[in-house]
Amino acid sequence: MSAAPVDAPGDEAGVAAAVRAAWAAGEPLLVQGNGSKGAMLRPVQAARTLSAGALTGITLYSPQELVLSARAGTTVADLTAAVAAKGQQITAEIPDFSALFGSTTAPTLGGAVAANLSGPRRVAWGAMRDHVLGLRAVNGTGEVIRSGGRVLKNVTGLDLCKLLSGSHGTLAVLTEITLKVLPVPERRAALVVRGLDPVRGVAALSAALGSPYGVSAAAYLPAALADRVPGLAGASALVRLEDFSSFVAYRSERLRADLAAFGPVEVLDEATTLAVWAAVRDALPLVGETGAIWRVSVRPSAGPVVAATLEQAFGARWFLDWGGGLVWIAGPATAAAHDAVCAAAHAAGGTWMLLRAPEVLRAAVAVIPPEPAPLAAIARRVKAAFDPKGILNPGRLRAGA
Amino acid sequence: MQTSFTAAQLRDPATAAANQVLRTCVHCGFCTATCPTFVLLGDELDSPRGRIYLIKEMLEAGRPATAAVVLHVDRCLSCLSCMTTCPSGVHYMHLVDHARATIERTYRRPWHERALRALLAWVLPHPGRLRLVLAAARLARPFAGLLPRGGMSFRRVRAMLATAPGRLPPASPLDGVRVHRAEGPRRFRVALLDGCAQRVLNPAINDATIRLLTRLGGEVVVSAGAGCCGGLTHHMGRHDQALASVRANIAAWSREITGNGLDGIVVNAAGCGTMLKDYGFMMRGEPEAEAASQVAALAMDITEALVKLGYAPSRPAPGLTVAYHAACSLQHGQGVTDAPRMLLRKAGFRVVEPAEAHLCCGSAGTYNLLQPDLAAALRDRKLANLCATAPDMVATGNIGCMTQLAGHGLPVVHTVELLDWMAGGPRPG
Amino acid sequence: MIAQLPPRQDVLARRDAIVAGLRRLLAPDAVIAEPDLLKPYETDGMSCHRQVPLAVVLPATTAEVAAVMAFLHREGVCVVARGAGTSLSGGALPMQDAVVIGVMRMNRILEIDYADRLAVVQAGVTNLGITQAMEGRGFFYAPDPSSQLACMIGGNVAMNSGGAHCLRYGVTTNNLLGLKLVTVEGEVVDIGGGHLDAAGYDWLGLLTGSEGQLAIVTEVTVRILRAAEGARAMLAAFRANDVAGDCVAAIIASGIIPVALEFMDRPAIHACEAFAHAGYPLDAEAMLIIEVEGSAAEQDDLLGRIGEICRRHDPISLRISASAAESAAIWKGRKGAFGAVGRISPDYLCMDGVIPTSRLAEVLRRIGAMSAEYGLQVANIFHAGDGNLHPLIMFDANEPDSFDRAERFGADILRLCVEMGGCLTGEHGVGVEKRDLMVVQFTAAELDQQRRVKSAFDPGWLLNPSKVFPLQVPPA
Repeated sequence: MSAAPVDAPGDEAGVAAAVRAAWAAGEPLLVQGNGSKGAMLRPVQAARTLSAGALTGITLYSPQELVLSARAGTTVADLTAAVAAKGQQITAEIPDFSALFGSTTAPTLGGAVAANLSGPRRVAWGAMRDHVLGLRAVNGTGEVIRSGGRVLKNVTGLDLCKLLSGSHGTLAVLTEITLKVLPVPERRAALVVRGLDPVRGVAALSAALGSPYGVSAAAYLPAALADRVPGLAGASALVRLEDFSSFVAYRSERLRADLAAFGPVEVLDEATTLAVWAAVRDALPLVGETGAIWRVSVRPSAGPVVAATLEQAFGARWFLDWGGGLVWIAGPATAAAHDAVCAAAHAAGGTWMLLRAPEVLRAAVAVIPPEPAPLAAIARRVKAAFDPKGILNPGRLRAGA
Repeated sequence: MQTSFTAAQLRDPATAAANQVLRTCVHCGFCTATCPTFVLLGDELDSPRGRIYLIKEMLEAGRPATAAVVLHVDRCLSCLSCMTTCPSGVHYMHLVDHARATIERTYRRPWHERALRALLAWVLPHPGRLRLVLAAARLARPFAGLLPRGGMSFRRVRAMLATAPGRLPPASPLDGVRVHRAEGPRRFRVALLDGCAQRVLNPAINDATIRLLTRLGGEVVVSAGAGCCGGLTHHMGRHDQALASVRANIAAWSREITGNGLDGIVVNAAGCGTMLKDYGFMMRGEPEAEAASQVAALAMDITEALVKLGYAPSRPAPGLTVAYHAACSLQHGQGVTDAPRMLLRKAGFRVVEPAEAHLCCGSAGTYNLLQPDLAAALRDRKLANLCATAPDMVATGNIGCMTQLAGHGLPVVHTVELLDWMAGGPRPG
Repeated sequence: MIAQLPPRQDVLARRDAIVAGLRRLLAPDAVIAEPDLLKPYETDGMSCHRQVPLAVVLPATTAEVAAVMAFLHREGVCVVARGAGTSLSGGALPMQDAVVIGVMRMNRILEIDYADRLAVVQAGVTNLGITQAMEGRGFFYAPDPSSQLACMIGGNVAMNSGGAHCLRYGVTTNNLLGLKLVTVEGEVVDIGGGHLDAAGYDWLGLLTGSEGQLAIVTEVTVRILRAAEGARAMLAAFRANDVAGDCVAAIIASGIIPVALEFMDRPAIHACEAFAHAGYPLDAEAMLIIEVEGSAAEQDDLLGRIGEICRRHDPISLRISASAAESAAIWKGRKGAFGAVGRISPDYLCMDGVIPTSRLAEVLRRIGAMSAEYGLQVANIFHAGDGNLHPLIMFDANEPDSFDRAERFGADILRLCVEMGGCLTGEHGVGVEKRDLMVVQFTAAELDQQRRVKSAFDPGWLLNPSKVFPLQVPPA
C-alpha cells in the first residue's frame, strides 16, 4: 500500500509545507507515523505518503509535574525507556500490534494517539486520549494548530485533543504530543480464577472491579486462548493489582476472600504477571489466527453474550479485556462474518471495529459503525472544518470521507 | 452581591438590614440544592436564590409586591434549610420575614385569601378559639367530600379539615399558669413556653416536659401574660400582631427574671424556639431591645436543656427503633442537631435517620393549610423516607411536624414523650 | 459590563409570538416570560454579569427540549442552556435575544448498574445527587467540583468540571460513557452508551467542555467507581509558599499520587477557618491538605511516607486527621472556600488559571505584587497536584470602579498563567469571563479552527452566544 513516495519531514514546518503543497494541488496524502498500523481500517488511496516518523525526540520531561512532551514520531519504545529511567510509565499501557499485523516498524506515539490505542489499564485509568494533555498538529490546509497544553488540567476552548485522538490522521497530522505520566508501581500481581464459564468469569471481573482494592485491569480468556499464554492454563478470569508491595500483598488476600465464591484464586508472580498482561495488551493469543480480527466494545456484562453469539455464528475465537467490555474476535475474513460481528455489537448497544483483514474486505465493508444521519452530517462538516479538500487519509475511517 | 438601594432607602433600618443580608449573598447557588420547593418544582424562582433575587428587586424598586412575586415568596416554607447550606452565612430568615411583612403591607390579596389568613391568625394563637374551631371542623369533616375538587381555596379547606384531629384530647390537669415545684431540692428555675396550638392538640408534650424538668430538680414556671410566641402571625407577615405577642412575652418573662430569676426559657415546640431566639433581632431599635435580647439568650430547646441538666433514663432499654425526624426549625433554625439524637440513644432507643433528613415535611406552621399541594408532596416524600428506615415509631421535636406526619401508619411522638417514658413517665399513647 | 453581540432586533420584535410558540410546546408553568420573573434568571454564579433573557423555559423531557430547539431553530432564536446556574465564568449568562433552556426539571436518575459500573442520569441531576443515590453501596461519581451539592451534571459536562480529587480520578471528560444530545436543529442523538471508547471520532470528548456551543445535553451516562476502603486527610503548614511548593514536588517525585493535594495561602486559611472551624493553622503562610485512600494500614503507611517528606520541609505543624469527622471538617473549609470568602468580602472574583506546578512560588509572588498594585486583597486556593490555581480577588461591587479593577487584576493573573506555560482555565470554563483573553492563549488560526468546529455543529451560531470565542463575525 505504501509503495507511494514517502515524505518524512524532520520538523513541523516541513510537515506544514508538505500539507500546504498537497492542499494547493488537491492531492490526497496517506498520513502515518512509521506505518506499523497501515493494515488497520480501510486502505487509503493516495499518491503520496506523509510520515511523521522523522519528527522524533522528547521536548519536555518534568517528572515531578508528571508531564512529558515528545514529537509525534518518537517511538513508543523510546518513550517507555525514557520515563522508566525516572520510575514512571505511560499510563495508557499502549498496545503493540506489530505481531498482530506482522509489522516490523516501530510504533510511534503519534500513531498510538491517532488511533487512541489503550491497553488493559483502560478499564481503570482511562484511554490513551485521557492522558493527552496537549498536542500540536497540522490541519488540512497546512496551518499549525495547538490544543490543550503542558498542564494537567485545561478546559480552555474546544477540546480538540480529544477530537484528534482517535481520528486516524483524517483531520490533522499530529506533530507533537504532551502526555500525563504516572509513577511505576512498586509491585504488580495478577490474580487468576480458573475454570469459570464466560458469564461467571465476567461476574468475577465485575466483583473485582467493584471492590475497593483498585484493580487496574481485568480480562477473561477461554481455555483455548489461555492455553496459548505461558503462565495460564484453562479458562482464566484475570485481574491485576499494582501498588506498593505491602498494599498488593494485603489487597491480594482481600480479593482472594472476596472472590472465593467463584473458586480458588491463584496469585501469579511478578514476572508472569507482566508477561500475561503484555499478552492480553497486544492480543498475542490471536496472533496465530489467520483471517480477520475485530474489536467490539460493549457493556462488560454483554461481552460474553457477543462472544457466544459469534462463536455460534462462525466459530469465533475470542477473549475479553476491559472487565469483559472489550471483545477481541478472530474469524473468517468474510462479509458474512463481518455482518455477524456488526449485528452482535449493535444488539448489545456497543461499537465495533474491523481491525485486521485482507485489504479487499476492508475496502468493501464499513470498518466502523455508521453514524445516525444528524451526526453523520456534523461529521462531514467537522472533517471539512479541518480538511476542506479532503486530502488527509481519505477513506481511512469511512468510504468517501 | 451588588445592590442598588438609594441612600434614602437605606435610612430605613429594615431596608438597611435587608441590604446587609443581600450583600452577603454571593449568588453561588448552593442553597438551591437543599431547598424543598426547588427540588419539587425545578424552577429557580422557587429556590432561595431566586426568592432572594425577587425580594431584592421588590425592595430596590420600592414598588408594591406583584402577584407573581407573592406566589413564589408564599411558596417558601421558611424551613431555613438554605441557611444550613449557605457557605456565606446569608441570613435568609431575616430577609424573607421582611419580605413577608412588605407583601402584607403593599399587596392586596384576593378576598378569600385575606379571609382565610385572618381566620388563621385569629384562631391559631388562641387555645380557646382553636378548641372551638376544631370541634366544628370535626363536625364538618364528613361533608368534605361535597367540596368541589378544583380550586386552591377548596383544596385549602379540605386540607384544614383533614389536618384537624379526629378527637381532641382533654386539657391536662397540669395545663395553665402556675409554678411546678422541683422534685427534691431546687437546682434551677425555668420558664416554660406552654404554647398555643400545641396545648390544644397535644397536652401530653407539656406534661412530659414538666415532669422531665421537675424530676431533674427544676422549678418550672408557666408565666401569666406569656402566650403564643408570635411565630404564626410573623410568618404570615402580620407584623403588628406578631409584635404584640412578642411584647407580651418579653414583659411576662422580664417580670420573672427580675422576680425570682430564670436559668432558662424552655421551649418544646421547635418553631417557637426559633422565634424566641430571634426576639433580640426583631425588637432591635425598640425600647424593649435589651429585654428582648435577654429573653432570646435564655431561650433553649427542651433537648438543649436536658443535655445541660444531665438527663438519665431509669427504665431498661425498650428495644425499639426510633426514626428521628429533625424539625426544620430545630436543625436549620436553631442548629440543634445532635442533642435530640444523643438523648434518644441515651434513653435506650435505637435511633435511625431517614434519607433527605434536611428536607421539610411540609408542615411549616400554616404552610400545610395555605399550600396544601406542595405540603402533601413533601409529606409523602418524608413518609416514604421514614418508612424506608423501618422504625417502630417516629420522634420529632415540633408539634407541626407531628400533626403533618400523623395518621399515615407510623406512630409519631414528641421526643420528650419518649425521654419522659424512659425516665419513669407514662408510655406515649 | 462585558460587551455582547447586539441583540437581533427582529427577534426582539417577535418576542410575543416566540413566547406564544413556546407556550404551545410546554406546560404553562414551564415558560417564564414576565419581566419580574425573568430577573432572577439574569445571571449565574458570576453575578457581576447580568442580562435578562427573552424567556426561560423549563422542559421536563428530552422530547420537550427537542421540540423547543426545533422551534427556536426555525425562528432563528439563540439558546442558552442552564443547569443549576453555578458557573463561575458566566457560562450560563443569558442574552437579551436568547431563550434560556433550564434543565433543572430533568432531575431523574434513570439507571444505576453496579455490575457494569455506570449510571444513566438526566442532565438536571446534581453532581452529588448521583453519589447520594448510591449511598450504602460504596460507589461514587468521581469528579467533585466544590459546588457539587448544587451543580448539575449537564453543566458539568458543558464545562468539563473538575474538583479536588481529579489528580487521581480525572475530570468530567475522563468519567463519561455517553450522552444524549439535542442538536441545534432539534434532532436527538445518542453518543456512546454503556461501552468504552468510540470507534470513530470522539464526539463525547469534543462535546465535553464545549460550554453549550455545540448541542444541548439532556442525559448523561457516567462511570461510577467503587470507593476505596477509607480516606484520611492531613494538614501540613509551612512558613513560606515556595517551601510548600517544593514539598508538593517532592511528594510527587517520591512516586506517591495522593487523591487530593490542596494548597491554601494565608488569607484563604483565615477565611476558611472562620467558616469551618477545622483547626487550620492560622500562623502559617501556606497550608497543604493532603488526602490518601486505602485501608487503615495503607493510609498510615502513605501518610507516614508523606509526613516524612513534609518534615524535610521545615513544617510549622503537621496534623493527621484522626477521624472521619475531622477529615470532613478539614474538607468543609476547603469546599466552602468560595462562600467563606463571601463572609469577609461582599464580592469576589474567582479565577481559575493553571500553571506548571513548579512555578507556584513565583506566580504567588507576582500575584502578591499585583494585589498591592491594584489595592485589592486576594486569597489563593490551589489544586497543587495539577497546577489549577484559584485566586479569589476580593472587592466591593457597590464601590465605583472596584469591579473594573478586580477584572483587570484577574486578567493580569490569567496572562501570567499563560506566560508561565499554563492556561486560562482549568475547570470553570471560558464562559463570558475569559472570552476576550482567548487571544492570549491561542493564535488567530487556532481560534478559527475552533470556530469552524463550532460552525459544523451550529452553522447559525444560535447556541450560547457571546461566550468562549472573542466577539467577531463567525467564519463561513
